[in-house]
Amino acid sequence: MPSTYILVAGDARIGNLVAAAAGTRITAVVVGTRAVADAVAASAVATVVWLGEPGENALEAFAGPVADVVAAAAPQLVLASTRPSDRVLAGAVAARLGAPVSTMVSEVVVSGDGAQVTRGVYGGIAQEVVAVTGTAVVILDGGASGTGGDAPVEEVAAVPAGVVVVENRPAARTQVDLGRAQRIVSVGRGLKSQDDVAMVEALAAALDAETACSRPLAEGVSWFTKDRYVGITGQHVSPDLYLALGISGQLQHAVGARGAGTIVAVNTDKDCPYFKEADYCIVGDLYDVVPALTRALT
Amino acid sequence: MSDVTTATEGVEPDFDVIVIGAGVAGCVAAYLLAQAGRSVVLIERGDTPGAKNLSGGVLYSRVLEEVFPDFLTEAPIERTITRNYIQFLNGSSSIGIDYQDDRLANPVNAVTVLRATLDAWLAEKCEEAGVFLMAGVRVDAVLKENGRVVGVRAGEDELRAHVVVAADGVNSFIARDAGLRTKEPTNHLALGVKAIVSLPEETIRERFHLSGDEGAAYAVVGDCTMGVGGGGFMYTNKASLSIGVVLRLDDMTAKGYASSDVFDHFIAHPFVAPFLKDGEISEYASHLVAEGGLSMVGQIETDGMVVVGDAAGLTLNTGLTVRGMDLAAASGIAAATGIDQALTAGDTSKVGLAGYRTALFASFAGKDMETYAKAPAFLERERMYTRYGQLLGDILYGVFNHDLTPRRRLMSVARGELKRSPVRMRDLMSDGIAGVRAL
Amino acid sequence: MKIVVAYKWAFNPQDATVDSGGTVTWGRAKAGVSEYDPVAVELGRRLADATGAELIGVSVGGADTASPMATKSALSRGFDRVVVVADDALAGASTTQTALVLAQVIAHIGDVDLVLTGDSSVDVGAQMVPAVLAGALGWPSVMNVTTVSVGAGDLRVERAHEGGSQVLAVTGPVVLAAASDAVVPRVPGMKDILAAGKRPVEKVDLAALATGPSASSVAGVSTSRPELKSRGGRVLAGADVDAVVAELVAALRATNVI
Repeated sequence: MPSTYILVAGDARIGNLVAAAAGTRITAVVVGTRAVADAVAASAVATVVWLGEPGENALEAFAGPVADVVAAAAPQLVLASTRPSDRVLAGAVAARLGAPVSTMVSEVVVSGDGAQVTRGVYGGIAQEVVAVTGTAVVILDGGASGTGGDAPVEEVAAVPAGVVVVENRPAARTQVDLGRAQRIVSVGRGLKSQDDVAMVEALAAALDAETACSRPLAEGVSWFTKDRYVGITGQHVSPDLYLALGISGQLQHAVGARGAGTIVAVNTDKDCPYFKEADYCIVGDLYDVVPALTRALT
Repeated sequence: MSDVTTATEGVEPDFDVIVIGAGVAGCVAAYLLAQAGRSVVLIERGDTPGAKNLSGGVLYSRVLEEVFPDFLTEAPIERTITRNYIQFLNGSSSIGIDYQDDRLANPVNAVTVLRATLDAWLAEKCEEAGVFLMAGVRVDAVLKENGRVVGVRAGEDELRAHVVVAADGVNSFIARDAGLRTKEPTNHLALGVKAIVSLPEETIRERFHLSGDEGAAYAVVGDCTMGVGGGGFMYTNKASLSIGVVLRLDDMTAKGYASSDVFDHFIAHPFVAPFLKDGEISEYASHLVAEGGLSMVGQIETDGMVVVGDAAGLTLNTGLTVRGMDLAAASGIAAATGIDQALTAGDTSKVGLAGYRTALFASFAGKDMETYAKAPAFLERERMYTRYGQLLGDILYGVFNHDLTPRRRLMSVARGELKRSPVRMRDLMSDGIAGVRAL
Repeated sequence: MKIVVAYKWAFNPQDATVDSGGTVTWGRAKAGVSEYDPVAVELGRRLADATGAELIGVSVGGADTASPMATKSALSRGFDRVVVVADDALAGASTTQTALVLAQVIAHIGDVDLVLTGDSSVDVGAQMVPAVLAGALGWPSVMNVTTVSVGAGDLRVERAHEGGSQVLAVTGPVVLAAASDAVVPRVPGMKDILAAGKRPVEKVDLAALATGPSASSVAGVSTSRPELKSRGGRVLAGADVDAVVAELVAALRATNVI
C-alpha cells in the first residue's frame, strides 16, 4: 500500500488531508502538544509520530527533525495544510527530498511509485496534471478535524533549532472561519470609508451572512481583519451565496470565491471582470444597492 | 537680462538631455543622442516601456530602418501589411475595395506592431546605446529658471539637463506645464477605442487570405461609427486582430453616444462579426488621438526644451490611414539632430534649438503634415460618415438585385439613387473637390 | 552582518492569456519586482540601516532577471548590491528548483545571517519558496513576520498567526517571510534609480552552482484551461434600484439560495 505522511504543526484540523490520502497508509508527524497528537490520533490515520512537548520552542524549530523522520520513510505522498507553520514543515521535507511542491491542488491519485497531481498554475488561470516519481509534497486546505480513528502515538526525540517563543500576544477577538460560511457578503475598493462598513454589516445581518473583503480592505487600511480577506493568498471560500460588492473581480480575488454556489456582483462598471464570472450582475453603486437590498430582506 | 543660452551657471547638469516618455519618438531621440555621445536619461512613467501604451498599430516602417538598419529582422514585428482594404459599411450592406500589391511587401512599407513589445525593444536598444532608462517615474513638473527649462521634478527629486525632450504623448502634460500649449479644443481630438482579439495564427491566415507573415489592414467608414465623425479599423497581428474605432470627441458628445456603444455596434456588424468569431477579447482600451493635422502642431521648441511625437500634435488622419508612429520617429530623428547641433554650439535656447524645426519640416513628416493640412476639416464633413456608403449601397443593390424588373444602365441607377438620397449633387461635387484638395 | 532579500522578477498572471489547451502566453504582461517583495526589501533596508548590515538582493529566474531594467528596478528599492542567476533554464522554474538554486547562491555569498522574502509571488502564489529555501539551508523559517529587530545576541521577530501574534527569539541564521503588510515600501525616486544604476550587479552562472541530483522528478501529463463554472451572467440594471433589487431577491428565492 502506498504511504502518505501528513505534517501537523499544532493544529489537528486535517480532515481534508486525511480524505485526500484515502487508500494509502497514513502516518501523521505531529509537532505540538500531546493534546494535539492525541487529537490527530483520533483522525483516521494509521500511526502518529509525535516529536515531544515543544515547551518554549516555536513549532517551526522542529522542521529539521520532521524532515529527518519523513526522509527516512521516503513516502509517495506528503500532505500539509496551508497554515503558515505547516508550510514550514512541508518546505523542510521538500528540500530534504528534492521533492516538487504542489499548491492549488484539486486531485491527487497515489500509486506505488508516485503520485499524479492535478493542480492550478499561475494563480489558477491554467491547470496541469503532473506525474511525480519519488515523493510529491502537496499543500491543501486542512479542513475540519478528522474523526473515526484511534491510532497509536509514538514519541520520537527531537532537537529543535534555536527559535523560542518569548511572548504570546493573543488577538483581542476570535477568528472567523469563512471556509464554513453558508453566505458571504464581501466588499472591495468600492467602499469609500470605514464608517460604511456598518452598512455592509447590516446587509450581512439581514442575510444571516458573514462579512468578507478583498485584499485592499484588510491590508493597508485594515477595515477588516485579515481572516476575512478572500483571495489567492487569503481565504478560499465556497458558500451557497457570495455577494461581491464593489469588487472588480481581478483574478487574485476571484479565484478565492470560485467555489461559491451563486455569485452576485454589484459594480458601477459594467465592463468589470467580475461580471464575466457572476450569476447575477447588478450595474449600480453599492451605496444605492446595499441599503435597498437590506430593506428588501428585512 | 538673464542668459537663456545655457542651462544654469555654476550648476553642472546631471545629463545632457532628459527625455520624458519611452514611446517611439522618445526612444528614437534618446537612442540617436546617446549614439552621438551625449549623456541621456529616458524617463518612463510606466513600470516598463510599453506598459502605458495602447496595444499597437500599423507602422510605416521605413523611417525606423533609417535609425535601426536591421529593424525588420530584429524588432518584434507582427505582420507585413500587403493587403489594404477600404470598406464602406451600411446597416445591412457593405462595399469594399481590396488593394493588394506586391510592391508593398518589397521593400516592406508597413508592418503591424504591438507597442508592449515594440517599446520594450526600443528601450532595450536605448540602454545598449548607453541611455540611462528610468522606469516607473512620473514627472511632476518641469524646472524653470530665468524663464528657461533646466530640468524636471518628480516627487522630492530634481534632475537637471541642458535640454528636456517632451515625448509624453497626446495629452503632453510637460508641454502644457512648460507653457507651450493650452488645453486643446475637443474638435481637434478623437477618441480611439481599440480591442485585441486573440485568434489562432492559422485562423487569421484563412479569414484574411494571407500566407506566412503577410498581414491585412482595413479602413472602414460608414455605419461602423453610428454616424459619429470618424472611422473603424481592423488589422492583423500574428495571432490576434486589432479592431476599433476612432471617434471625433465633439461629435460623439453632441450625439450623446458612449464610445463603448459605438464599438459594440461596430464589432456586431454582419461584415465585421465573422472575422472575430470565436475570438477572445484579450484587451480593451481607449486613448485620445490628436487628429488636427498641421494646425495642431504649434510651438515645438522653447528655451531648453523641445516637444516630439504625439505630444507635438504629430498625428495624421488622412481618412484612409491614421499615422502617428512614423511621424513620431521622424520627429525623434529631427529632435536628435537639432539638439546635437545646439549642444555642440553651446546654445540650447529656443534659437539654438531651431535646428529641430528645420530638420522636421525638411523631413517627409513635416512635408506630409503640410500636404494633409486640410484633411481634418474635410473629414469633419458629416456626409462622409453617413450618407455616401448608403448611396453606394443603394446603387449596387439596383445593379445586383434581380427582382425581375428590367435592368437599367448603371448611370441611370446612380442618378435615380442620388435623387432619392439626401446627398445633393452639389454636396457630392463640393466634397469631391475638397477631398481632392485635402488628400 | 549580511542580510539577503530573495526577490522575484515576475509577470502578473492577470495579464496573461490561456488558450483552450491550457498553454499560458504572457503577451502583454509586464515583468516587475514581484508584488510583495518590496515589503521584504523595506523591512531589510530598515534593519540594515539600524545595524550597519549589508543588504543584498538575490534573484534567480530566466535571462530577463539580469536585464538592466530588472536589476535597476530591484536596486532602486534599497539594495546595496544584487546577485542574480539568470538562465532561461530557470524561466518558470518550480518552487523547489527555485529554492534550491537560491540556497546555492546564498552559500556562494557566504556568511549570510538573515534571508527575507515577500509573502508570496505574484505569478505562482504558492507561499512555499522561503520554507523550502530554509530547508535547503538547514535553517529554521518563520512566515507572516511583521517586525524584525536585533536583540541581545539574538534576532527578535514578531509574527502574526491565527490566534494573535508571537514574539520569537532566534539564534543563528533564519529565513523570514514578511507579512504582506509588515511595512509600507518606499516608492523609488529618480535619485534612488540613479544611485541604483551605479551599484554592483553580480551575475552567477547557473552551471557554476552545485545543484545535486534529486530523488524525485516531475513529468507533465497534460495541461488544460480550467472550465469556469458556467454562470448565468444575468445583468440586472435599471434606474429604479428597488426594482432591480426585488428582481434579484425573487431570483435568489426562486433558486432556493435564500
